[in-house]
Amino acid sequence: MRKAEQSKPTKGVWVFGDYRNYFQNRVTLQLISKGKELAGKLGTDLTVLVLGYQVHQYVMEYVAHGADVIMAVDHPVLKNYQVETYSRLVAELVKAWAPHIFLAGATAFGREFFPRLAKRLKTGLSADCVSLDVNVEEGWLIQTTPSFGGHLLADVITPKSRPQMATVHPGMFAERLHDKSAVGRIIYPDIKVEADERVQLVRSKPEQVSRGELENAPVVVVGGRGMGSGENFQMLFELARHLGGEVGATRPAVTEGWVGEERLLGQTGRSVKPRLLITFGTSGALQYTTGIQGAETIIAVNRDPNAPIFKISDLGLVGDGRSILRLLIETLRKRL
Amino acid sequence: MNFRQSLISAHHNYLVNQMLTPGFILGVLDALDDFWLLADVVLPDEKAPYLSGRFYDRRGGLILHLQGKEILENPGNCLIQSSAEDFRLVYPSGEEFLALHTEIFTNGYMSRIQGKLYDRMGSLRMEPSFGSAKVFGDAQWAIPAPARFQNKASFLSFPSDFSP
Repeated sequence: MRKAEQSKPTKGVWVFGDYRNYFQNRVTLQLISKGKELAGKLGTDLTVLVLGYQVHQYVMEYVAHGADVIMAVDHPVLKNYQVETYSRLVAELVKAWAPHIFLAGATAFGREFFPRLAKRLKTGLSADCVSLDVNVEEGWLIQTTPSFGGHLLADVITPKSRPQMATVHPGMFAERLHDKSAVGRIIYPDIKVEADERVQLVRSKPEQVSRGELENAPVVVVGGRGMGSGENFQMLFELARHLGGEVGATRPAVTEGWVGEERLLGQTGRSVKPRLLITFGTSGALQYTTGIQGAETIIAVNRDPNAPIFKISDLGLVGDGRSILRLLIETLRKRL
Repeated sequence: MNFRQSLISAHHNYLVNQMLTPGFILGVLDALDDFWLLADVVLPDEKAPYLSGRFYDRRGGLILHLQGKEILENPGNCLIQSSAEDFRLVYPSGEEFLALHTEIFTNGYMSRIQGKLYDRMGSLRMEPSFGSAKVFGDAQWAIPAPARFQNKASFLSFPSDFSP
């Protein structure tokens, strides 16, 4: 058994392996791809840190997608995620191995876990980044993130504290192809795993929309504040049914209670890559459009001809979204 | 912080000593007068794990010499029982002394090894432990390429500096 030594300067690019809903939620694979590119520029390795129980399948997947090193803590206590336990363990590992950069997906999990970890490590964290690069000379991670209400993109650096930490919005980077001939290293740290007794999992309940249904839908119909009411919003579900698609929403529609959080698209929600996306009554704020930029074709309907959504749409219809929606549904009803 | 390490394949790994490894060797490969076990690397176009070895009972008597699916010597009248996911070596009494169970993942395979193996001195070399096996004595961990096709000297080149 060898001993890890805290070395200065820091080295290595780490990605946190969030394997929950692995085959739908691909953000860890996207980060492995980007992290490997950054590690290459810095002349170092890409390590994926995985905590859990019986995680063999996932660590093999990460190697197939480009991880140079896997650091695995496999213990029954870690079967269910507990933020305090995870934060404590990962902080210990980071202090022992001193990675230069540490990335996680901006999923519900990453958004809860990474800020706590950054606080424990007394380092900075850029949330919901949409792009990453490195300044090789300085060793800085250039973290590009929406700021000022999403109207600007800011490049953020962490010049002094280490590791440089960022969460990254899903769908920002392409994952590498699965390579079953790949071979990596796997490290099993000798770390004491104990559950946090203050928090106990009583029960868990699956989401109403399982991950993957929305992300993998070939057609997505989206409604925003311009839908005006919950009743109007329900029309989107009928249109989606006719088109064989799913319904997404912007933050205002969720805040109004017209639809559940599980359908939220954008910076703080899900990212979709449908062949066709039709968006009704959405202005086109950056927080929303970061979640739909992978769509092949975007059709936007809005009353305001100057709405930013038209700048990214392939086809724009200036008009009342509710009226156009009714016409569309009536037409489809007659055809089917 | 102390740690253990190994290699890991994207395609197939053995689980032993609570670690994944693409392949490993216990004892001295191909020794004709003592215990050895080869759990060999499975290539990307192969689906089944590959075991070879020379096995002894707890009194140090040779019971089986196996090379892949071929039995070379079988003074213990041992039996091979295999199916798509399981491979078992058993005494005539039906008592199992080595078993391999392969789990099929979406994009790969993992084989759990369990068994109770001895060398010719009667010393324990493997015993069941937490759903896989714990091994004792000389071992070559994490061979990166199949040993069955190679010159012995060429595959024992595990990197010496493995500090993370």
